[in-house]
Amino acid sequence: MTALPATTRTTAAARTEGLWLSIGLYTALALTLVAPIMVALLWSLVDPKGGWFAPAIVPNGLSLHHWRAVGLDRSLIQSIVTSVLISLAVTALSGMLALPTAYALAKVPFRAKRAIEMFILAPLIVPGLIVGIGIGTLFFRVGLAYSIPGVILAQTIGTLPFMIRVLAATMEAIPADLIHAARTLGASPFRAGMHIVVPLAWPGFVAGGMLTFVSSFEEFEKTFMVGAPTVETLTVKLWAVLGGKVMIFPNAAVVTFILLVPCVLIFFLAERAMRNDGALAAGMGKL
Amino acid sequence: MMSRYALWVLLAPGVGFLILLFGLPLGMALLTSIGLGTVGVNTGFTLDHYAELFSNSIYLDGLRYSLFLSVVPTLVSLTIAMPLAVALQSTFPGKKLFSTLYRVPLVVPGIVAAFIVMILFDRGGEISRILKPLGLGLPKMVRDEWSLGIIIAVAWKAVPFMMLIIGGSLASISTDLPAAARTLGANRATVFWRIELPLALPGITAAVLLVFVGFTGAFAVPLLLGPIYPKRLSVWMYEASYQENNRGLASAMGIVLSVIACAVLVIYYRVTSDLRNAAGGEVR
Repeated sequence: MTALPATTRTTAAARTEGLWLSIGLYTALALTLVAPIMVALLWSLVDPKGGWFAPAIVPNGLSLHHWRAVGLDRSLIQSIVTSVLISLAVTALSGMLALPTAYALAKVPFRAKRAIEMFILAPLIVPGLIVGIGIGTLFFRVGLAYSIPGVILAQTIGTLPFMIRVLAATMEAIPADLIHAARTLGASPFRAGMHIVVPLAWPGFVAGGMLTFVSSFEEFEKTFMVGAPTVETLTVKLWAVLGGKVMIFPNAAVVTFILLVPCVLIFFLAERAMRNDGALAAGMGKL
Repeated sequence: MMSRYALWVLLAPGVGFLILLFGLPLGMALLTSIGLGTVGVNTGFTLDHYAELFSNSIYLDGLRYSLFLSVVPTLVSLTIAMPLAVALQSTFPGKKLFSTLYRVPLVVPGIVAAFIVMILFDRGGEISRILKPLGLGLPKMVRDEWSLGIIIAVAWKAVPFMMLIIGGSLASISTDLPAAARTLGANRATVFWRIELPLALPGITAAVLLVFVGFTGAFAVPLLLGPIYPKRLSVWMYEASYQENNRGLASAMGIVLSVIACAVLVIYYRVTSDLRNAAGGEVR
């Protein structure tokens, strides 16, 4: 009986501590994430008549002028379409290429597995710029330079290793008995794959696919190397706005949000699809 | 048991793609760097590009600066991410929401991070505007010689990433171990240093390594936020390749950067396997 008050006190202390921790973490989040995004939002809403010059802390007037201009800017709409199409294609291609390879890595024991795994990781380690330059030369020779298919292939180099690892991690959890049973009952390897492995690995496909889409959507370096100036995705567009002689902050802010909003939304959906960090950590964390 | 033939059919799509589009370009870059490239002037075997790289002081400065920009943001991010990852292991109100929100920077493109640093930290940026009435000012943080802007932009993206990976490692430690240690009289700091840190070390090294190499070849953020001089090797590489069309030199720089990245990876494997052996297989 004497232990009871002590326990209550510790719980109360723990609760107070948790509350302080919560306050601290959310304050940090507000300062480092919410505040910068709010400033970017203000920049996108600057009224061109009033402008926003130092030392004014807030713009002299707000308007949707720059957002409305987006609707009229055909090159920007073209960039959005290009970005979405490329990202969809990269996601589909990564999924299809990764499926059999991930299965082999997850379920088939073989000797060179460690070496193959390391090779698959290499594109995540070797700087994308080098691959970009090498692939630019290669594509130039086969006529893929400055083309959308070229950009799709170049981006897939970066997303495929991640997709293979996420899928392999999901497939490891599929009981081998199920596949054996299907095979014993006369299913061809292809049928067994399509009816057992693919449905059971589906959460991996969904999570890996969404993350692939996002990483393709925000990819800049390889896209720029292979596709610019002909293929203009949103990141290339933002680069052009920021890296040019005259920086137009309101325009950059608008492009920022067009880039950011789909990425963040899809990322949240992927998080829900994964339910836990397993796939993401498996894809990135364990080298 | 699966036949060898079937195994290779399974491996072919993924591995074949990477051989063709990753291995081949890398091999071509290697050949180009020693003068055997098929594009541009074919000079025959030469080590001139490497000689130029290692004798020209602007490239040596670039290499040193590249290493600085890989090491410092990594250390800064680790210092911030480590305590946060530990804090996230305890329960607090609103934990679930926080665990989702803190990851947002993971999907923010590097160029957007650079833009945010510009509007906040540049001269005349939001922070200096807020500080001015208080009589305070910011040091030069964009295009400055210490590259504070780049460090902030990289850390902003790297901290959540490290928290995710390190948090995953910490979460996989059985709660019995710290609880047992606490029962036996260890204080929190001891539990952290003697139990949690060693067991989470593989995750920590993985996070450090991925941040370190992940930024080695980036050139967009350094080009937007970095000083005029020195330039990162990756920026020189971009300029050598696209503005001067000197593919040989650009490839040599690329190979040097790749070798550095791979060396870091090998060291990582050594360190973690030593740890694994030392712990008698206890450490994953």
